Amino acid sequence: MSKIYQARISRRESIKRLSAMTAVVMVGGVPVACDTVEPEAPQATGTPPAGHWPGIEPEPITGPGYGTDPIVSAPTVPWSLTLNGTQKDQVAVLSDLICPADERGPSATAVGVPDVIDEWVSAPYAGQQRDREQIVNGLQWLNDEAQLRFGSDFVDLTAEQHTAIVDDIAYRSQYEIAEFERPARFFSRFRRLVFGAYFSSPEGIQDIGYVGNVPIAGDYPGPTDEAMEHIRQVAADLGLPPITEYVNQQ
Amino acid sequence: MASFDGFEYEVIVVGSGAGGGMAAHVLTEAGIKVLLLEAGRDYDPVTETPMFHQNHEAPLRGTSTSEKNFGYFDATVDGGWQVPGEPYLQGPDSRFMWWRARMLGGRTNHWGRLVPRFTAADFKPFSTDGVGTDWPVDYEEIAPWYDKCEALIGVCGDNPGLDDTPSSSEGVLLPPPKPRVMELLLKSACESLGIAAVPMRRAILTEAKDDRQACFWATPCGRGCAIGAAFQTTTSVIPWARQTGNLKIVTNAMVKEVHLDDSGKASGVTFVNRLNREDVRVDAGHIILAASACETARLLLNSKSEAFPNGLANSSGQVGRNLTDSLGAGVSGYIPALRDRPKYNEDGHTGNHLYIPWWDREGQKNGELNFSRGYHFEVGARFGSPGMGIAGAVEGYGKQAKDDIRSNYGTNIGLSLRGEMLVSDDCYCEIDEDTVDQWGIPVLKFHWKWSEQELNQVAHGLEWGRKIIEAMGGVVNNPDRTAEEAIEAGGQIIHEVGTTRMGDDPSTSVCNQWGQTWDVDNLYVMDGGVFVSNPHKNCTITILTLAMRNATRLAEQLTASREL
Repeated sequence: MSKIYQARISRRESIKRLSAMTAVVMVGGVPVACDTVEPEAPQATGTPPAGHWPGIEPEPITGPGYGTDPIVSAPTVPWSLTLNGTQKDQVAVLSDLICPADERGPSATAVGVPDVIDEWVSAPYAGQQRDREQIVNGLQWLNDEAQLRFGSDFVDLTAEQHTAIVDDIAYRSQYEIAEFERPARFFSRFRRLVFGAYFSSPEGIQDIGYVGNVPIAGDYPGPTDEAMEHIRQVAADLGLPPITEYVNQQ
Repeated sequence: MASFDGFEYEVIVVGSGAGGGMAAHVLTEAGIKVLLLEAGRDYDPVTETPMFHQNHEAPLRGTSTSEKNFGYFDATVDGGWQVPGEPYLQGPDSRFMWWRARMLGGRTNHWGRLVPRFTAADFKPFSTDGVGTDWPVDYEEIAPWYDKCEALIGVCGDNPGLDDTPSSSEGVLLPPPKPRVMELLLKSACESLGIAAVPMRRAILTEAKDDRQACFWATPCGRGCAIGAAFQTTTSVIPWARQTGNLKIVTNAMVKEVHLDDSGKASGVTFVNRLNREDVRVDAGHIILAASACETARLLLNSKSEAFPNGLANSSGQVGRNLTDSLGAGVSGYIPALRDRPKYNEDGHTGNHLYIPWWDREGQKNGELNFSRGYHFEVGARFGSPGMGIAGAVEGYGKQAKDDIRSNYGTNIGLSLRGEMLVSDDCYCEIDEDTVDQWGIPVLKFHWKWSEQELNQVAHGLEWGRKIIEAMGGVVNNPDRTAEEAIEAGGQIIHEVGTTRMGDDPSTSVCNQWGQTWDVDNLYVMDGGVFVSNPHKNCTITILTLAMRNATRLAEQLTASREL
């Protein structure tokens, strides 16, 4: 992988803005429905959290969004992308660790997941900006951790070295381990974005087996014979009354 | 006859949603000239609806943002929980959410199209359980109008004959679609618990009707429907009214005041032209307000005169009072036995094919429940178009995580409780004189408080929701969630009604049974403001039906007086 952008975000130990960033997404006094966000880590008062965390304060995105009346039949993304080359390389490597190619579908990078993540963290909305702070810091943490453990940047590690780090932050139980809490929450959020972007791509839709969004003339066909047979068996196994088609009373 | 921009008309209708659209249709069909004022922009679903766009074509994969609260492709224009430049306020300890749209057709462009009828008991709540107030109309009187309205807008569904599901006359309903497998499993699980899951009535054409096409079983209805299969006023009553030549629509017309003449009649309205911010006065012999329950109340409260210092048609003091919404709460879970279930197209009409009506009127009558009235469950369970939330609670990474998501696809179920709250002195809206919107119009302040009644009902629903999901072999998410945690905010279900309620007594109601204000006899309300109570059955079909009935009466009167 070529590294076009060499700029590296300076590390800062300050976490002073973290608590400010935990504010609920409120618009005009009401919480706004967003994609589900991991609960914020409770901040211990007085004592700094264990482990390292970059504490980067990304420049706020202040540009316009798509507005309240975009042309929804011809969508455009009005904001600029903001991840630098190093970050994009890291996003690419991490996305494919999370979502590799297999016999049923391509890898995350093959369907452009890093571009979606760049679009996501560059959006001017509060939920996305909160993700931006978490992801920019998480990516830097991965690099710092890679340097501490193996003396190289994250993208340059071997497969075994990647696994060694990711295995420490890929599970919810690791929220309980002080030094991994924030990296694990970052990873959880990042994984959600990667798989969301992958399975909503044209290739991902095919992979997961969504076969809707096609016009059908006449009546709705309903379940296939195979699906009916399966659900009858499920009901029988659960000891439920037999599955019967609804008969109209009209 | 008054005149605007060269168009002569008799009636002004404020608002182009369910009530206003229907009123304009009925009047113009009867040969009456109507000036329809809409605060938002012109909107045409035929050209503007994203019918087959997928999430990957939208910014942020279509995810909800502060600018598009129900996702990028939702039909709502310039609205949602906030309208730019048009704030609203909350009273102390109150939380109320107010969904608005600024577009022709209003919220009918994106609504759920769920159209259950009210029952005889729903119209007579006080006579039934001694709580609240009876409506000044009964079911027998409204039933033929439900038939007419359903036949006009197009409703698919069934007459299962339960006490919570009054039947339509023969030939009125269009056939419902076949249930999906999760709904069949739900039905079977419900049977094991002694309750019923039956076809949901939706304002969806399952057969072609007039110039509208039948549903082709794709496209979420919230986007609007270019082919007219999902009812919205902008593909039906409004174009039909236009075709009569008796309708003139003025969009971007934000009405700020209703005027009263010396004889005590409403004489006209002033609207702000949103494009140039100028005030425009238009007069009329009859004025129909259908701006939505809360906007209509706001308009009346802001229309002060010597005769009505507390707001027009408000001698009862009831304008803005008696505000209710549906109760909302959700229970969700997943069904492990459905992992890797066979794939097929489950879009259907994109809403519920089966749902669970309220089942325990009997238990309530016998005093077995600690709340009044009831609720229904709507069901979310199908292979949907994948979006950013598809990963769910998956852990780990790599092939195992990817396979987990594939296997879990189509195994989640969500049951949404929609219940009836009681009218309460704690829930109302009023004008905050110190705050104006960008048009200089004083804004609403909402006061809201749930009572034990609502919390007990939600607690009952949470328990039954868990029971139903467990009967399906499911694992319930957050099984310990309390009613206080689960109950949604006031207004959040977008069924707000009651702020100009009708009644038999002018001292306790704003309108008579015809939506005619007691105080000003040429001023009518034809939106959800006239509701006396808010049965758990979604309000729009009853708004449409009452508007049809009451506009028909007005049309008959106007026609008769013309012939004199």
